[in-house]
Amino acid sequence: MQKEFNIKNLLYSKINRKLTLLFLIVGFVAPTLTIFYFYTVAVSSFPENVFAEQISLLGIIAIMTVVLISINAGIIGFFVSRSISKPIKKLYNATLELEKGNYETKVDIKTNDEIEELGHAFNLTTATLTKMEQERKEIDNAKTEFLSITSHELRSPMTPMKAQLQMLKEGYFGKLSKKQKESLSIIIRNADRLDNIIADFLEISRIEAARLKFDFRETDVTQLIKDTIAFMQGFANEKNITLVKEIKNLPLIKADPDRISQVLRNLINNAIKFSDENNKIEVSAELKNDYIMFSVRDYGCGLSSENQIRIFEPFYQVENSTRRKHGGTGLGLTICRGIIESQKGKIWVESQLGKGCKFYFTVPLTPVIDIEPIKMLFSQKDVMERKIHEEFKIVLGPLGEVEFNELKNKNALNKDDLIKYIDSLTGLYILVPEKSEDFKNKIREIFGEEKETIIKKKNEILCDNKLEGVLK
Amino acid sequence: MQKTILIVDDEPDIRDSVKIILETNGYKVETAVDGDDCLKKINELKPDLILLDIMMPGTPVDEVIKKIKDIKIAFMSVVRISEARKKGLCKQENIVDFFQKPFNVSDLIDRVGLILEK
Repeated sequence: MQKEFNIKNLLYSKINRKLTLLFLIVGFVAPTLTIFYFYTVAVSSFPENVFAEQISLLGIIAIMTVVLISINAGIIGFFVSRSISKPIKKLYNATLELEKGNYETKVDIKTNDEIEELGHAFNLTTATLTKMEQERKEIDNAKTEFLSITSHELRSPMTPMKAQLQMLKEGYFGKLSKKQKESLSIIIRNADRLDNIIADFLEISRIEAARLKFDFRETDVTQLIKDTIAFMQGFANEKNITLVKEIKNLPLIKADPDRISQVLRNLINNAIKFSDENNKIEVSAELKNDYIMFSVRDYGCGLSSENQIRIFEPFYQVENSTRRKHGGTGLGLTICRGIIESQKGKIWVESQLGKGCKFYFTVPLTPVIDIEPIKMLFSQKDVMERKIHEEFKIVLGPLGEVEFNELKNKNALNKDDLIKYIDSLTGLYILVPEKSEDFKNKIREIFGEEKETIIKKKNEILCDNKLEGVLK
Repeated sequence: MQKTILIVDDEPDIRDSVKIILETNGYKVETAVDGDDCLKKINELKPDLILLDIMMPGTPVDEVIKKIKDIKIAFMSVVRISEARKKGLCKQENIVDFFQKPFNVSDLIDRVGLILEK
């Protein structure tokens, strides 16, 4: 942002006012006293008639001298204050730049004193930071590149390997015994699984390098959901699960239908895996302000608060999970997150243990122009914890630090516990209701909930309060 | 009449595997190791279909396909090709299919059968 140019501000910013004023006063008072003294001495020692001729001239000279000296002192004061405050201001601005992540900031201070040394030390620090930042970027790129290359290299030998295995099984090289066939089935199954993991790794490397390809085109989301449900119903039938859709008139949007369908299929597939037989799964989509919000709801085993955060991490396994039974690479939801976040959408889950899960994701109505790299291999949990920590410090100050650590030790840094905790603060009159509501919204936001739902919840709470008031 | 298929791939294991699969299913199969080799051989062999790997050393595939006018071509690629790029590649009329590696053997047979029936 360009600040408006203002001569007054410019001068004030260059002058340390108090220091200049001090010089001005000293520069005025000291010579006044001295000259007044000489003046009185002169008046008393000269004969009266001689002095009378010179008195006016002497008076003018005395006043001029005082004025000149004080102006001089003022000017000196201005420069002295500038020599001290200006480089400090420079340093301050440079640290602000540094905070923004602009590590190439340099200060140019030539005062020939300790401040110059400080400026020099600052430059050395930023040089080191720049180097480290560069190294970090290089390592990051190398990691993505390595992931991509190894995945390709791993995938190449899979082609002849899988082909030969299938040929063996199909009897290209003679009939197989029952035992041999069984053994071969196991090899094939695991080769397929390995190949799926490699394919998923490739996808992740693409997301991390912002190389994920989107083909944005006019899309009828309603039809897309119908098609996806029809496709998935086949799998759901095995467990006699019904897929129900609830779609509220959606406009045509510019989006990548294949990617949306990929995410939907993944979520529905998970929902089927974790649902009991004869259950139902609800798929819905509705138009919000400038995005469409999709959701997939199941009535399966649900997720604990801890798992709700970590479920999007690569290879994260829900404890006691029966993933082996369910199969899958353990990267499905991570990829979903990457696909959605690459398009500037959001994905999150709401769940209660034993009551099923509801996965939400949003797709903006207008497609993103620049696909940004998304960090997939970092633990979501760490990132969230850092954000929550920040929020605690902002809202509660130094107390927040202590409270945060205590909650962390109690393993209570999940959405439900945090909301309860904030409510308890309100109960103790530590936070006023409005502030605690803001705090709660911030926490909900960190956990990925869209603003729209937060506002809705706020309204619901308000309604509830009103209702209670009426009932009372 | 027996149809001829030319497999172009720089990896011998893939060439050999595909060759056996297609031969077993009644096709006459020839192989080439890269794009240049393929261009050299087509005049003499007059194949009905070329299975062309999309990434090979030597002349880039984009250049190679421009020189093949009246023979059907199906691509094979280990890299997942985006729909947009596929559309771009399939502009040429004689490009008929796209096989993602690793492929499924029975799927390969079915699709090759369909292509050559036409």
